[in-house]
Amino acid sequence: MITLHTWCSLLSYAAFLLAFIAGVLFLIQERQLKRKTMGVLFRRLPSLESLDRVNFLAISAGFGLLTIGATSGFVESALLRGRWWTGDPKEYLTVLLWAGYLALWVLRQRATLRGRRVALLSVAGFSLVLFTFVGAGHLVPSLHPFI
Amino acid sequence: MHIVLIGLNYRSAPLEFRERFAFRREDLPQAFSRLREEVGLREAAILSTCNRVEIYAGAPALDGTLERLHRFLSRHADIELSGLSPRLYSYAEPQRVVRHLFSVASGLDSMVLGEAEILRQVKDAYEAAQAAGATGKLLNGLFQRALNTGKTVRSRTGIGRGCTSVGTVAVQLAEKIFGDLSRAVVLLIGAGKIGELTLKRLAERGAGELRVMSRTLERSADLAAAYRATPVPAAALPAQLLEADIAITSASAPVFLLRREELVLAMRQRHHRPLCIVDLGVPRNVEPSSGGLENVYLFNVDDLQALVHQCHHERQRALGESEDIINQKVDGFLSWWREEFRMSNVECSPSS
Repeated sequence: MITLHTWCSLLSYAAFLLAFIAGVLFLIQERQLKRKTMGVLFRRLPSLESLDRVNFLAISAGFGLLTIGATSGFVESALLRGRWWTGDPKEYLTVLLWAGYLALWVLRQRATLRGRRVALLSVAGFSLVLFTFVGAGHLVPSLHPFI
Repeated sequence: MHIVLIGLNYRSAPLEFRERFAFRREDLPQAFSRLREEVGLREAAILSTCNRVEIYAGAPALDGTLERLHRFLSRHADIELSGLSPRLYSYAEPQRVVRHLFSVASGLDSMVLGEAEILRQVKDAYEAAQAAGATGKLLNGLFQRALNTGKTVRSRTGIGRGCTSVGTVAVQLAEKIFGDLSRAVVLLIGAGKIGELTLKRLAERGAGELRVMSRTLERSADLAAAYRATPVPAAALPAQLLEADIAITSASAPVFLLRREELVLAMRQRHHRPLCIVDLGVPRNVEPSSGGLENVYLFNVDDLQALVHQCHHERQRALGESEDIINQKVDGFLSWWREEFRMSNVECSPSS
């Protein structure tokens, strides 16, 4: 159970990292198109459509993995400690992260949000991922003391 | 064995002159046998494209070979020798012949600097000569190295990079937005010539669905027939705008065909699906501020023209680098040639 929780959480972060990279590349490419410059980067970077697709797939995968990772964490906690919610800062952040990516996924899926805005949000989302993964443990005592 | 070249190209002769020299593929075997018998060549290859006709040859001796080649071409084109000579160039110095062919294969001698088509044409010319049994060790070595040079120059320098016409630039921009164009719906609005050319380029790149909208139904029908496009009535513009991925406007109209507020509305209804607009109209057909809308990518004639210039500029810059590679390859070939043909040279002309 612990390994499932750890692996799924780590893999979801990796997927969000991929979404972040695709998002940044999208923003660069889209800026070049709007400014009508065809530099070296312009030729090397993939099309907006494929960057957008990678971004969406990565967010979908990351969201699924995060769901499994968090659920298994709660189950594990319930088995170990007898309560699923321990009040750990990482738990709050994870729920926030989960809700954030769910919102992003739904907006993108229903096509209310497209292109640059999705890319911007996935970049913003990843900073929350970084904070959850790295920062939380340093700010407040946590049950997830790695890094 | 000596290497000689005789030919004419777009710089030395106008089209109505060049076209009389063109060799059709089916004429080649006969031309090769005449070159062997009448001119006394041992090996020959003929490069015949719309921009040039060139004969590369291996001759056992030089005396009289170029004169006989002049006469051969004069008969072939049915043009008096006196009128012909100023239009032709001929080289018998191995270094010049080799450098010329290597430059041609690399696209350095082309009308559009760095174009890729010529490399395939050189390959075809070589294969046709080889199939007819007209090449030997010399021309096999020469052409294989020319093809290799062309490939090296293209891959190592920026000579073939970018786009050289408004149409191809538009295609490249569209591909950077949509990736594969096979699912893209293209809408051409108006009947301008460059609009049609752009449509043609998009069709060549496999654009999924083409639609044409013109003020006169006749013109729409013509375009539709020529590019397997669907004609759509001008009144359907708002509805068409919801389905199109790429819109090309090429109309002469005193007012904007597409206004910003119409596009705002359309984008909302399209659920912000990206829209690429290529405005080729002068005066412009699309309200310029529309380019600021999210997911709308608007390019006008000046934008495209600037990208074409940028590309030409980059190709010019790659010229020096390309010439360095060609020089190296020419030296490589010449040392191979001297090594391989030293013996036969002595056999042919003991005095040299």
